[in-house]
Amino acid sequence: MDFLANLQLGFGIAFTPFNLLMAMAGVTLGTLIGALPGIGPVSGVALLLPLTFGMDPVSGIIMLASLYAGSMYGGTITSVLINTPGESASVVTCIDGYQMALQGRAGPALGVAAIGSFVAGTVGVVLLMLMSPLLARWALSFGPPETFALMLLGLTTVTGLTGDNALKGYMSMVFGLMLAMVGFDIISGDARYAFGINEMLDGVEFLPVAIGLFGLGEVLVGAEQVTDMRILHARYGIRDVMLTSADWARSRWAIARGTVIGFLIGVLPGAGPTIASFLAYTLEKKVSKHPEEFGRGAIEGVASPESANNAASSAAFVPMLTLGIPGSATTAVMLGGLMMWGLRPGPLLFEKNPDFVWGLIASLYIANVMLLVLNIAFIPLFVRALRIPYEILMPLIIIFCVTGAYSLNNKVWDVGVMLVFGVVGYVMKKLDYSPAALTLALVIGPLAERALRQSLIISDAGPAIFLTRPIAAVLTLLALTAVTVPAVRALRQLLRGRARVPAA
Amino acid sequence: MRRADLIAGAGLLALGLAFSGMALRRYTYWGPTGPGSGFLPFWLGLAMAVLAAGLLVGAWRSREPGARWLPEGLGLRRLVVVLGVTAGLVVLLKVVGMAVGTVLFLVAILRLVEGIRWTTVLAIAIGAAAFNFLVFTYWLRVPFPVGVLGF
Repeated sequence: MDFLANLQLGFGIAFTPFNLLMAMAGVTLGTLIGALPGIGPVSGVALLLPLTFGMDPVSGIIMLASLYAGSMYGGTITSVLINTPGESASVVTCIDGYQMALQGRAGPALGVAAIGSFVAGTVGVVLLMLMSPLLARWALSFGPPETFALMLLGLTTVTGLTGDNALKGYMSMVFGLMLAMVGFDIISGDARYAFGINEMLDGVEFLPVAIGLFGLGEVLVGAEQVTDMRILHARYGIRDVMLTSADWARSRWAIARGTVIGFLIGVLPGAGPTIASFLAYTLEKKVSKHPEEFGRGAIEGVASPESANNAASSAAFVPMLTLGIPGSATTAVMLGGLMMWGLRPGPLLFEKNPDFVWGLIASLYIANVMLLVLNIAFIPLFVRALRIPYEILMPLIIIFCVTGAYSLNNKVWDVGVMLVFGVVGYVMKKLDYSPAALTLALVIGPLAERALRQSLIISDAGPAIFLTRPIAAVLTLLALTAVTVPAVRALRQLLRGRARVPAA
Repeated sequence: MRRADLIAGAGLLALGLAFSGMALRRYTYWGPTGPGSGFLPFWLGLAMAVLAAGLLVGAWRSREPGARWLPEGLGLRRLVVVLGVTAGLVVLLKVVGMAVGTVLFLVAILRLVEGIRWTTVLAIAIGAAAFNFLVFTYWLRVPFPVGVLGF
């Protein structure tokens, strides 16, 4: 069976000392980044991407993927002990996690999150491993029209699902696509929108934009907040995080349900761990025999969303690896990384770079084991890191943004771009725009344009080609639905004369 | 927020129209074989204009001023200073070099803005500059800008 041979190849790569070291660095940094409020997995991946340029791509992706998985574990610590989410996929964990901590049950809350994360993360990787090759093989038959329709679907779902304001989400997406148009056009050779500036001829580089939006932008949002975080005194040594059999009986099925829902949501292009965790919590409350305990420290309210976000973070790799469409903002940044390493994302990745794909899959298994140990035995260490004041952390992150942006081409220009997009990111966040949609559009914009133009060249009937080929038609219709539903709703509100005032 | 929406709506409406106009005038909309380099930009500019017009109309018709989105007082001061010092670092990067720039930047923020003790500030600043040097210059061989002082 070539399947087992592939897995063996993967583990052979993942078990080399350097790659194990990268996985270890990834999970540790990831847990830390997940735990620290104000910096999440997207910023972490964007900031660490420059470090991977000198590496083999497989070592690079191992570090970034381990970081992503680690941040899903780490976010819980802050939610439970401080009642502030460390990153967005752990927002919902605050509700019952913090209540448990107030009742002196911080240990079991952290324990069930670690175990649930491990189960869900591992099952997620198994499903990723089984599903991706089949999906990739199916996607090999895609021509330009299918590819474009798929990208359109990815863009519209990301935009529709992130942020509360659909109109501003679409504006962010279109802005990202406009930025993607800048620079040399590969087909005609026109230098578009470069205004005679040499640095613009190569287009707007994705990395300084991502570092600006998610690194500097987030830090600026944090800088204006004068907060004082109180860490709850609690016991979270190894013995304290062990579950009683009553706890286990209650959380077992919650973990299973969280895993399933998390994976299903995560596979969708555009819907990532955050949405998965919210849906899992809602579902758990609905099926629970004692819904009244939710919000008062129900262990299922921690187990289910924490499992869901890990399953979703594994699942997000499915569309990214097989179709070249990222499933979340973090995988969008990774996809940008893939291109910078010189790999072509898409269904051919499995055939052309099996070492990359299988090395990544194998290392995700290893990362989850490392994370289980780390999050059972070393919680006190991460809690200590939470005591580093934000005033000290903030300027250090900014320095990292500057060096990261500079190291891309060794040009101060890129640092300037990073700075500009830091301000843009700050304003976007404050005004309910979607930096994630902008980033995704910037990454897949050039690919989408090429697919669109190729489709129209081979078409005899203009844009109708997207509706006459069956797979393309289904994808296009789904994408159109994703656009029209919020549009119709907004229009109806506008006609009624009471336009929605977005919440601040 | 309402005023911010009005400004953003007007600005992006103008940007969209200009983007579309430039696509038609400077680039090819439809070439001999198919869509040219101006095809997608034209439609994107138009889409932005329509969306921005929607935002503009919505904000125009809404009576409420909406929540404040810019911070006030201490928060605003910190935001402006942090942004200003960062911009200063970017501008001066070529003159002072990365190592000195890192130290100056951290001293400025930690000492002047946050008022942390000098010993702590210097330890962090020198530690960070050394870490940067080890990782980027020594390990990754990124040629950081060196300042007039030669490092």
